[in-house]
Amino acid sequence: MSKMTDAIYDKFAKNLEAVNGGCVRTSKQGLGQAIAGVFREAGIQDACVKETPLLQEADVAGALRAAGMEVYTDHIRLHAEAARGGVSENQYGIAELGTLVQGHDGADERIIATASEFYVGVIKGSAIVEQYDDMFDLLSGLPELPNFIGFMTGPSRTADIECVTTVGVHGPIRLTAVVVDDE
Amino acid sequence: MASEDLKQEIRLALDNHTLNKTLGTFCKTYPAKREKAYEGIDFPAVREKIKEVKSYAAGHIDELIEEFTANCEKRGGHVFHATSPDQAMEYIRDLVREKGVKSIVKSKSMASEEIHFNSVLSGDGVLVQETDLGEFIIALEGNTPVHMVMPALHLNKEEVADLFTDYTKEKNEPVIAEEVKTARKVMRERFIHADMGVSGANVAVAETGTVFTMSNEGNGRMVGTLPPIHLYIFGIEKLVKSFSDARHIFKALPRNGTGQRITSYISMYTGASEVTVNKETDEKQKKDFYAVILDDPGRREILAEPEFRQIFDCIRCGACLDVCPAFALVGGHVYGSKVYTGGIGTLLTHFLVSEERAEQIQSICLQCGRCKEVCGGGLQIPEMIMKLREKSVEEHPNAIKKFALDAVSDRKLFHSMLRIASVAQGPFTKGQPMIRHLPLFLSGLTEGRSFPNIAQVPFRDIFPTIKQDVPNPKGTIAMFAGCLLDFVYTDLARDVIADLNSIGWLVDFPMGQACCGCPASNMGDRENGAREAEINIEAMEAEKYDYIVSACPSCTHQLREYPTFFEEGTEMHQRATELANKTFDFCKLFYDLGGVAEEGDSKAMKVTYHDSCHLCRSLGVTCEQRELLTRTPGVELVEMEEHDNCCGFGGTYSVLYPEIAKPILEKKIQHIQDTGADVVAVDCPGCMMQIRGGLDAHGVEGITVKHTAEIIAEKRGLV
Repeated sequence: MSKMTDAIYDKFAKNLEAVNGGCVRTSKQGLGQAIAGVFREAGIQDACVKETPLLQEADVAGALRAAGMEVYTDHIRLHAEAARGGVSENQYGIAELGTLVQGHDGADERIIATASEFYVGVIKGSAIVEQYDDMFDLLSGLPELPNFIGFMTGPSRTADIECVTTVGVHGPIRLTAVVVDDE
Repeated sequence: MASEDLKQEIRLALDNHTLNKTLGTFCKTYPAKREKAYEGIDFPAVREKIKEVKSYAAGHIDELIEEFTANCEKRGGHVFHATSPDQAMEYIRDLVREKGVKSIVKSKSMASEEIHFNSVLSGDGVLVQETDLGEFIIALEGNTPVHMVMPALHLNKEEVADLFTDYTKEKNEPVIAEEVKTARKVMRERFIHADMGVSGANVAVAETGTVFTMSNEGNGRMVGTLPPIHLYIFGIEKLVKSFSDARHIFKALPRNGTGQRITSYISMYTGASEVTVNKETDEKQKKDFYAVILDDPGRREILAEPEFRQIFDCIRCGACLDVCPAFALVGGHVYGSKVYTGGIGTLLTHFLVSEERAEQIQSICLQCGRCKEVCGGGLQIPEMIMKLREKSVEEHPNAIKKFALDAVSDRKLFHSMLRIASVAQGPFTKGQPMIRHLPLFLSGLTEGRSFPNIAQVPFRDIFPTIKQDVPNPKGTIAMFAGCLLDFVYTDLARDVIADLNSIGWLVDFPMGQACCGCPASNMGDRENGAREAEINIEAMEAEKYDYIVSACPSCTHQLREYPTFFEEGTEMHQRATELANKTFDFCKLFYDLGGVAEEGDSKAMKVTYHDSCHLCRSLGVTCEQRELLTRTPGVELVEMEEHDNCCGFGGTYSVLYPEIAKPILEKKIQHIQDTGADVVAVDCPGCMMQIRGGLDAHGVEGITVKHTAEIIAEKRGLV
């Protein structure tokens, strides 16, 4: 995948913000600090983190701990019941919609992205495609689909009572994408 | 006729203030939200792709079932192909028993409603929890969905607070944000401890064995993430061939369903995904993944009937409900069964839930055609509802209705009755041009509107006295008057002739013409529809004329339908086709024959235009009449809100359901008044009668209703 342009980032951020999501852009070195900053601002003091090579290299867990947070990197199913924050990496993004895409069959990632009150979705800039159709082209071209693929666009929402849109139902109440610039 | 029970249901719905307010507001704001969501998207192109992939699936359903099964199982899933609701439910009961399931969390699944999933398993002592907020609320209320996408629209926050207070045994305040928090808290416990999650599929892909679920609340993803057993239940109509095919459906589904470009979540499961089975040891394994495909006789019947097969293309977006004027008033408890609602719900109810219920509710459809414009699968919903009516009339003829339609189709009898009525109406007209009150069972006819008088002299007797001064005529046009021009609006018929004469055409009036047959067809009486067609084909002798003109779009529409009454290759079919091809509505024909001219008295006239359902949606005429009006010096056209929304007339509809037609008309009148116009232009005498009657009954002064033909004749000084 090619390096993310400013235009793609701007499009992704604008569309995510239009559905009540937040968006932060950072370098790999600044990733831990960026996430710590997002949680600090929201008053989140504990989080489940699913480590991936990117998150480990950037020492996200260390940065959060250094910021005074309680961090869980294993037994996610157990800790997600109480921890308010959640961090995981996403495989793809769609700029046209501000969508994060989990394309990976990991139970922990799914639990974190679904059960946390404040979810931070990390994504590499180069993994963001411009359009919805590009995403379907990409997924259709995979030799084998992962057992789970999940599109996530902003926090959970409902309009089931009196058609009044309310953000935050069963899924995250807040969601921020942290886009990591490619090196 | 609508049953008394249904009438009672309608009255209750109309009295439900919350439903009126919430549903009314939603339906009012929906079109703009939807339009915004489609910015940059070519909806007709998306719809064509959806039809293409769904039609392919319908034609290859057995292969797709087999392919889905093989591919899902290859990835660790188990698939059960159920050929009846009972078989599906028995399989599920056995599974639940075998796995020792005590608690189930469920996201939305319409197919599960069809098989009575909740009640059967609850009866077996299993805790079944609906987790979608709206479904949870109606489950607490013990009710069924009022809307396919937003099931609890009929309840306000106060009622929800009371239900939550009863359920949680803690006081819940009527604050929506707090109620949502309560649902989150209550449901989180259920998700954590559930043994099984149950989902419905929006799409199932044969080539990969993938099932898709779309949601906003996140309950769908919870159901598929936490419990160790995951069961999907869906009908065969959800199958498509390839993963790539699914993209088209998800382009339309959120935009049509809720006016969103995409929902918060789209989850795709291909076989058994990973799950944590022991949170203390963090042990993970592939979950137990099951898919039950519902392939019951009702679904096969849809596929087997060419006239209804397109139901298979429905993507269950609910857009047809959101633009339906009748649904906006009564909601899905009335206009629906306990599972499916609205126009499409009537069709699905017929095949999948209850033919009896479908027979009752099919008459609620106004036949206005708004649903067709937004339908994600391009379904011809009104036409299929009409077919249901025909089936219903064939199977259960109604003696009174039949007598009335027989009388209408007997030209001499009907015309005699109208002539008698023109005399007998005296006591009701009280010397006024409108009838404001009728007694006893006829009182519904004047509910919210007045009725016009029947002309003392019908147009057929006036026509021979009209002098047409057309030197060097370009040709001759036969006029089809229809009942309203022949017997009520005779001056309008004169104006149509004057207008056409003014641009060099002679007009003839074939005396043998009768009712076009639209009322019979609308009520499902195909026999009388065909009889009328035959009478008019003989009478109009289309072969002799250059064109046939009608100033009533419903008649025009019906005349164009005549070929469908006869077998192809027969002489009658040939004649019907010639008549249909030569028939045009007045404004279209007048425009095409060069009637547009900068002519007029230049006197200021502020006009707003009401589009008749048949003219704009069936005949596709929306620009010609506006150009005719705006090119007339002095005419200022101001569009009203919802200008193409039905006025509530709907032919016989306003007689069958005056209680629904009345509020539709009231809304129309409000929109007219809001424009500040002094003339409402129309092209349909039925709409003219309805709107004039509404303005009169509401005592609105200073606004007149005129046919485009009348305005042209008046402004150009032709009469």
